[in-house]
Amino acid sequence: MSSCRSLWLACLLIAAALWLSHERAIAANESINLQAIIDQAKPGDAIALAPGSYEGPIIINKPLTLRAEQEGSVQLHNSSLKPAVLITADHVAIIGLSLVDEGLKDEPTILATGNQASLEGLHIRTVSMGIAIRDADDGAVSDTTIHWAVNGVRMADKGNGIDMFNADRWTLTNNSIHDVHDGIYLENSDDIIVSGNVIERSRYGVHCMYTKRTIIEGNEGNRNVTGAMVMAAKQVSVVGNTFTKQSENVNSQGILLYDAHDTEVADNTVDGNRVGVYVEESTNNHFRNNRVRYNFIGVQLIQSSGNTLTDNAFMGNVADAQAQGSEDNRLMDNYWDSFQGLDTDGDGRSDLSYAINPFFQSIARKRPAFQLFFQSPGMIFLEGLYQTDRERWTEDSTPLLAPLDRQLHRDKSGDGVKTGLMGLMLLGCASLLFYKMRRRER
Amino acid sequence: MNEVGYVASREMKIGFRNPWAYSFTALFALFMLSLLLINAQGYVEGYSGSSSTMLNLVLYLLPLMALMLGSFSLTGEKEEGNWELLSTYPLGTGAFLAGKYIGLSIVLLAIVCFGFGLSGIAGWLIEGGFDYSTYNRLLIFSICLSLFFLGAAMLIGTIARNRWQALTMAVGVWFFTIIAWPAVLIALLGTLPYQWIKPAVTVLTFLNPAELTRLFTVVKLGGGSTLGPEYYQWMVWIQSPWGTPLFFLVMLMWIGATQGIAYYQWERRRGHA
Repeated sequence: MSSCRSLWLACLLIAAALWLSHERAIAANESINLQAIIDQAKPGDAIALAPGSYEGPIIINKPLTLRAEQEGSVQLHNSSLKPAVLITADHVAIIGLSLVDEGLKDEPTILATGNQASLEGLHIRTVSMGIAIRDADDGAVSDTTIHWAVNGVRMADKGNGIDMFNADRWTLTNNSIHDVHDGIYLENSDDIIVSGNVIERSRYGVHCMYTKRTIIEGNEGNRNVTGAMVMAAKQVSVVGNTFTKQSENVNSQGILLYDAHDTEVADNTVDGNRVGVYVEESTNNHFRNNRVRYNFIGVQLIQSSGNTLTDNAFMGNVADAQAQGSEDNRLMDNYWDSFQGLDTDGDGRSDLSYAINPFFQSIARKRPAFQLFFQSPGMIFLEGLYQTDRERWTEDSTPLLAPLDRQLHRDKSGDGVKTGLMGLMLLGCASLLFYKMRRRER
Repeated sequence: MNEVGYVASREMKIGFRNPWAYSFTALFALFMLSLLLINAQGYVEGYSGSSSTMLNLVLYLLPLMALMLGSFSLTGEKEEGNWELLSTYPLGTGAFLAGKYIGLSIVLLAIVCFGFGLSGIAGWLIEGGFDYSTYNRLLIFSICLSLFFLGAAMLIGTIARNRWQALTMAVGVWFFTIIAWPAVLIALLGTLPYQWIKPAVTVLTFLNPAELTRLFTVVKLGGGSTLGPEYYQWMVWIQSPWGTPLFFLVMLMWIGATQGIAYYQWERRRGHA
């Protein structure tokens, strides 16, 4: 009975393979065994998959291109505990597939250990890591969406969107990643370009550990714990990104640098975060032309030295800057909206310097219980009294009187009219009361 | 109940004819407006530089106004002999104090509403102004702050013999709760063992209505993460559905306690008279 069945299966496979070599397309069918199709293909083949539902897991161990005839119409299901797609060969490309991982597991949805892999236009529902790259170089992930498939899992128990270990010279562009642990996690991986990605509601947007020359460019981070986290990294550049509303967590930041050196942080917009730019134990980094707005704390420098901050605009932050143990940083030509300067020679720069009072920061670090006094009127009063050692404070020697960038207006929600009407009502009631209760002449 | 209404309406009549009420109204409205104008680029939304400045302005001004209006009104009754006259009527001390409190809060809230109304309209007209929910939060903050400090004012008015004493006490209480608070706490609690500091700060915060109301509002405006990991639970609590009812319960208890002590003091004196 069983031999009869396997014979029948073999016939079907041969027929399918013949048809494949002829047409290079597979007809829509009930859960087609994709592995069989791959096994039949010759190295270097390009396989166009007809719309339909396919069954994983699959292993690709030869150079192949796997393309959906129409993007999004090919679904690969994987209910096994193995990766849905395992790429062990070089020069593998997968284009336009939807990958659906089921259950909860440790293995990533796509695991690539081959060089020059190209993953393009994929839709991944993951229950572990979305894409894991291990010991493989020179690949690309682009136009791919990755999101977490199951509800009710704590962020700490989720996997990363794209997770790279010991992988050099990759480009990760225009991907969209939601609700995972770290959106893009890079470890021991050098010369990676991360650009145009959108990462939301995850722990860290882009997270670099022990990387060199990473380029993080034009990405968008929204409502993560931290937008870009650069740790123990060298020569990273963080340019033209937008990080907004990383404010819910007590450890939230827009951009965080920890033990980072020679980083270039330029032209970023950092809006509405707990801390806009957080720098700890980092040296020789350059911060240029960033817009740091409406954060609770604009920039925080902790035990950092030799950094340069120029031409940045700090606006609408609850506290523009906090610094502690950070001497020998060069701050010049920044705009601080809480500072009223004085320009006697008309060069647009204040002749009075803007000094960052370290009082609150040092108290709150020593005794975190006093963090409660953040920006309370009494604390502001106390900071005004505390002026000792002023020459050792971090200060901007030539603060700008007006920001370089005039586009400062925050997007308004359209309920100005509602506020106006509410105001009108309040004023009306109060006035009426005043009028009714006035002293009357007899 | 009629007695309370009678005292309250009498208090409103006196209050709204008091030149102090008008000068406080002008002062508050002027401050609100000038803040709005200084903040020319600022659209006030959530917890940001502009809303934090606004919170602090209100914290400077409103408690002082509440303390002075409230305590002067009570000591005035004593100084001018009205209380002795009222004592001869069948008027309960409780009704008298409750009526006083209600009348005074209406006067004070009218001042607050006038200031907020004006700046709300001005903000709308200059196309900057307030986000609707932030505006409401700041308004609620101001109302709560007024009601809290009016409670304290009733106590001061009870203890003080005359307006001068009341003024000294009012300014003292204002300075202590608003300005000196962090300095005093850091100085006193800095010497405590590390693990005692947070509980001590927590308990003391419940005793200072200015801090309590400020923190409640900061968290409600979305700025809870500024309080740091130590106060993560506060953030969770205040943001939970129980946060607002709990806050109002604390407020009610606070006002009830101050009124209770005041009642006891007036009753004792009435007994002696």
